[in-house]
Amino acid sequence: MKKIPLPKFTPWMAWVGGLSIFIVAGAVAGGLVFWKGLSLTNLTDLVPWGLWITLDLSSIAMSAGAFSLCAVVYLLGLKRFQAVARTATFVGLIGYSMAVLTLMLDIGRPDRFWHSLVFWNKHSLLWEVTMCVTLYLSVLLLECLPIFAGFDWLRGRWPRLAEKMSRAHHYAPVLAIAGLALSMLHQSSLGALYGVLKARPLWYRPDISILFIISAIAGGTALTVFASMLSARLTRRANVDDAALERVAFLIGCVLVVYLYFRFWDALAMTYTYEPGRTEGLNLLTGGQLSFNFWVVELFLGIVVPMALLLNRRTRLLPFWRMLALVLVVCGVAAYRWDTNLSGLLVVLSYFPGEPAVAYTAYHPSLIETLTAAGILSFGLLSFSLGVRYLKVVDHRALQTRHQRIKEPVKVPVPSGD
Amino acid sequence: MSAVKINRRDFIKIAAVGAASLASVQIVQRAQANEAVPAGGRKWAMVIDQSKCTGCGYCTLTCRAHNDISPDISWNVVTKTGMVGGKDIYVARPCMQCAHAPCVDVCPVRASTYRPDGIVVMDYDRCIGCRYCEVACPYGARSFNWKEFDGPNPSVPEWGEPEIPRRPRGVVEKCSFCYQRIDRGLALGQIPGIDPDATPACVVACPVGARQFGDLNDPESNVSKTLRERVSYRLRDDLGTAPHVYYLPAEEARS
Repeated sequence: MKKIPLPKFTPWMAWVGGLSIFIVAGAVAGGLVFWKGLSLTNLTDLVPWGLWITLDLSSIAMSAGAFSLCAVVYLLGLKRFQAVARTATFVGLIGYSMAVLTLMLDIGRPDRFWHSLVFWNKHSLLWEVTMCVTLYLSVLLLECLPIFAGFDWLRGRWPRLAEKMSRAHHYAPVLAIAGLALSMLHQSSLGALYGVLKARPLWYRPDISILFIISAIAGGTALTVFASMLSARLTRRANVDDAALERVAFLIGCVLVVYLYFRFWDALAMTYTYEPGRTEGLNLLTGGQLSFNFWVVELFLGIVVPMALLLNRRTRLLPFWRMLALVLVVCGVAAYRWDTNLSGLLVVLSYFPGEPAVAYTAYHPSLIETLTAAGILSFGLLSFSLGVRYLKVVDHRALQTRHQRIKEPVKVPVPSGD
Repeated sequence: MSAVKINRRDFIKIAAVGAASLASVQIVQRAQANEAVPAGGRKWAMVIDQSKCTGCGYCTLTCRAHNDISPDISWNVVTKTGMVGGKDIYVARPCMQCAHAPCVDVCPVRASTYRPDGIVVMDYDRCIGCRYCEVACPYGARSFNWKEFDGPNPSVPEWGEPEIPRRPRGVVEKCSFCYQRIDRGLALGQIPGIDPDATPACVVACPVGARQFGDLNDPESNVSKTLRERVSYRLRDDLGTAPHVYYLPAEEARS
């Protein structure tokens, strides 16, 4: 006699259920934004960019693991990181999807999102970023085709399609080059987006673009390694090549040294002489309302502590300390994006003759902004969880066997007119 | 022996000629690109006399009526900035119509562009509402439509009648030097700056005549004459934006 078992309440269900609540709340809040407009936000004409742009910049930064690791694997030829690169590519796809969702909320006319693809302004960094993000999203989709081909349901239902999709793997080196070019361009352009604005003295410097790409490489790779390690601890569907992850963690530590060096000089060189607007913006960071974020979250916990933990062999080898360091890096990079945006916007420089007067303004995200951001974040987490469960994105052993199976016919020379 | 043999000398000659012709093409193209204002064309400018301005704000209200602007938004802002000779001094700030406008450079969809007469115009049907121009403008001259402006305009009809359509929610808007008045006036043979119907509404409305409007390319226009006779300055000239709005500073003798 077989009894139909009641669905057992598992931690997985609690996780998915909890995230779904946030996603539904975010979707409702997002619907309200589309219906009622941006007046539901706490954004003003003085601070037109806030929480959403931070989420946007952060999720793009967190996707940088994809291009960094793909470049390491396919251009430097370090094949041992291939499995990690696969996870990073999936994280990248999620990150860019989150960024696109956030952008759709943030622009006043989401129905005209396609305008920048049609009406080109080659002078605009935002145009360049939009083009790169669109192209790179396509590259990421192609790079992820083999991952989606591993979906059991798809392989059972349309085996020929799955086989075709998994063959996209052979274009990986080409895609890695395209991804590297596009990412290098727009990750730094996101910084330059701020850096070219003469009206905002704190932003008006070239270093910002360099810092954006270095921090993105550190943060994006850290998120990938952290997510892999966490998945491997929580579910048997994920298993990792810990030696490879340990090496990547060491490299993140090295990148953090470079990041700290540039950040240190970038911030320090600004204190030299008084410049209206710039000095006040820096004061916001060093002693004003952003100072906790700047000193503690961004610099101490975000760079110095993880740098020490990741470069020290003993702590790096211990999963707890390594994971702690990685999650700190991620938070630090997000804090850097938040601080960069607000330190420039909260300082209002007058246009009156004589010495420009400086005033401060304030910004705190509204409930609607927070709910939508939490919803988009939950969407990212849920996508990754589903990926771990059904697409085996964190499965370093299965990849090796599957690749061997696919590689077999490639050794035979075949006519290339495919 | 091959038919064509080029020795090193010939090669250098050919290369030099090629480079020179390429460069000349570039120079000609650059020269054409620099000519934003065609020779003999007009270049509109506004001159605001701070010794005359009393800060009454008529310009702001008239602007709201003629351009059908929401009460939450001002295309023209008047701010008290100090005192000269016991009299309050104001800065009235329309859009500067910069010759090197940061907003035009940063717009991802070319919604902000230069007209040949120097006016920076917005295409409200193209703007996606990203607000990058707002962040880039050093003068705070741009406003975003955070909500729909529906219902009656409180400045109408007391301060004038709307001449342009209302902007939808979700786009950025700014002062346009009332180009609708300029274009209509020119078509009727009127002279902007002289004939009130062809002149920006704020210039016409000013009760003390603190504003002048005219063609900088015409040496005999009122603005050209004033700028020759009086000391003038432009806001944040250090930024290199080259505004088309000039200010005559308040002096004790004149106020």
